[in-house]
Amino acid sequence: MRRIAVTGLGAVSPFGAGVKAYWTGVAAGTCAITPVTLFDTDGLRCSVAAEVPDLTGSVRRSRADRLALAAAAEALEDARVTRRERADVALLVGAVGGGMLEAEAWYWARAGQGTGGRLSAVRSTLPSSHADVVAHRLGVYGPRETLVTACSSGAAALAMAADLIADGVVDVALAGGADALTRICYMGFSALKLLDPAPCRPFDRARRGMSIGEGAAFVVLEEEGRARARGARVYAELAGAGMTTDAYHVTAPQPDGEGMARAMRAALGQAGIAPAAVGYANAHGTATPQNDRIEARALREVFGEGALLVSSTKSMIGHTMAAAGSLEAVATVLALAHDLVPPTVNLETPDPDVAFDCVPGVARDVRLEHAISNSFGFGGQNVTLLFRRV
Amino acid sequence: MTERVVITGLGAVTAALGGGSAALGAYLGDPRPVAPTIPAGTLATLIDGAEARRLSRACQLTVAAARLAVADAGLPDCTGLGLVVGSEFGDLRSTLEFADGYLQRGPSGISALLFPNTVMNTMAAAAAIAVGAKELALTLNAPEVAGELALARAARAVASGRVAMALAGGVDQIEPALAPVFAALGAPPAPRGEGAALLVLEARASALARGARIVGEILGVAWRGAAARPHGVGRGADTRAIVRALEAARMRVADVPWVYDSASGDTARDGWERTVLGAAFGSSLPPRASLAPVLGQSSAVGALRVAAAAWTARSGLLPGPPLRRVAGAAGLVHGIARGGSHVALVVGRGEEDDLA
Repeated sequence: MRRIAVTGLGAVSPFGAGVKAYWTGVAAGTCAITPVTLFDTDGLRCSVAAEVPDLTGSVRRSRADRLALAAAAEALEDARVTRRERADVALLVGAVGGGMLEAEAWYWARAGQGTGGRLSAVRSTLPSSHADVVAHRLGVYGPRETLVTACSSGAAALAMAADLIADGVVDVALAGGADALTRICYMGFSALKLLDPAPCRPFDRARRGMSIGEGAAFVVLEEEGRARARGARVYAELAGAGMTTDAYHVTAPQPDGEGMARAMRAALGQAGIAPAAVGYANAHGTATPQNDRIEARALREVFGEGALLVSSTKSMIGHTMAAAGSLEAVATVLALAHDLVPPTVNLETPDPDVAFDCVPGVARDVRLEHAISNSFGFGGQNVTLLFRRV
Repeated sequence: MTERVVITGLGAVTAALGGGSAALGAYLGDPRPVAPTIPAGTLATLIDGAEARRLSRACQLTVAAARLAVADAGLPDCTGLGLVVGSEFGDLRSTLEFADGYLQRGPSGISALLFPNTVMNTMAAAAAIAVGAKELALTLNAPEVAGELALARAARAVASGRVAMALAGGVDQIEPALAPVFAALGAPPAPRGEGAALLVLEARASALARGARIVGEILGVAWRGAAARPHGVGRGADTRAIVRALEAARMRVADVPWVYDSASGDTARDGWERTVLGAAFGSSLPPRASLAPVLGQSSAVGALRVAAAAWTARSGLLPGPPLRRVAGAAGLVHGIARGGSHVALVVGRGEEDDLA
């Protein structure tokens, strides 16, 4: 079995561009959820989100394409993958909204609501745009996939990239996810009554829903022997990945968390470790009453009550949709690398139904050997990534 | 690939055919152009009343094709079944309806019911629920080649043991509102089609153990990115996907007796594909077929090309017009998309000695 090393990280988050800004914000427990500026939220349930500040790049590209490009470039540079090597690097991108933000502007303007939309933006509406832009700009020409598994898309990209390396299809893969805020996403979650008017409070007894965010994160995955041979910096090992489907409901998770638990067990099985070896779960932790309760139940089923630390990065950067799984994977990798578990902020009164220490407010110094990152999505799409310390 | 991967079932709902492997064979023997849109009554016979009310049309197409495929394969249950659905546009109709609701009536016009359909995995989710598929369920988005790509990805997942079996293929529907937008953007006037086509893939040993009827085999797959601008066609002739798929199938270029390509009427893209195939095959380019000119371009047609290749491998017939007699127990399915997604599959008849 070929082992998978994480040798490069890239992120653009509501804390700004770069992994350093992301980790600094997450480690400090800073909440980046603020009033929405990208579009009008009048009449909606909520008016806050976690926007990426000061995004650079050509405005001819969609915001989401720019997010993806910046994070992907950072990851490749961090791993020191040369231009020549990139011709054989796999590119797997988790995506949902594509360039919808700009397409909406055009569609809204066409309907007489708003101004400034460009017809040409419609070209980049589809999720696959990110992969095509990243490949073209950065010269990545190995196997290319755009995966859409709703809010677990970014994590699914890492899981499937790891499979390509394990199967010997490629030695190196660039995998991650990207999403920009869009009106449709914001309005949809508002209509479902899943948005908290205030910054979200995962695992709090008084939680009222999620906050939406945006961003992108990519990792370079590499066959471990190759990484060691070239003297690459190895952040962690991606030791296991589980992917399951509830086959239960299009929006609601299965109440008993069976599908989530199956994904976690599959990741443990692939890594060949016992549940007790895992010290930390970077939870999906959306702060909806239903998700947090069911995820906690699934964690308890697999690991036992209180058996590991649990925290939600979404309490700081919101739910970044297709980027969530990869941004949270980066946080999990850095938690292993820095011996520091990120906190859950805005958590004041722990929910008694959540039988775990959810690291309220302040990051915790803990030496970890293994950590998981959970990502779940509409359609009951469950992904668990399991990382091992190196 | 470690496990040999066979095709044991097909479910297809398009304007030209609704059914399984037998329906496809009958159609390929005499493929006639049809109106691109699926007649309204076709779905009514495949979906129950509650699903017709609850599911979007794109989801109904997918659910119907999934059920037909499972029945065609004679699967006793769907334990261990994964899903890989390719789509170029997803459920764009629901997305437009969702936006129109807001634009016409303000916040009170936002539909919580339509919202999940704006996420492209909605078709895979509906199909997973309908047939009880509980393993991985991927939706792959790509221009033009999403159906073929989904089958290549699913074959890899079965071969490596990620899933025991997979339901994989493509779905797209015609969205009339898009035609003038694409025309204004200068898109080529390639004929569009619609439908869903899903194949059941299984490890050969498992299929034989349960006494399944094998209708074909995926002998080798590869997918890559070829150099091209986003939305554009490339200038180069990158043949790596073809070479690697043939290597996996233990075949040489000279062994390929026929090809299903992705020619669709997009002149620039079709020309690029001819360049790539020309670079791979030289002056001995084998006879080719593509179903898009008669069925219209959609992700379903990409999946149907794989099923059709299995039919050609068994029947020795390559659809036209005119219908041609060809030799060889395996051939190539090839697709290349604007933007550079490139996929190749070697498809055989599924006999024991095909990978000798």
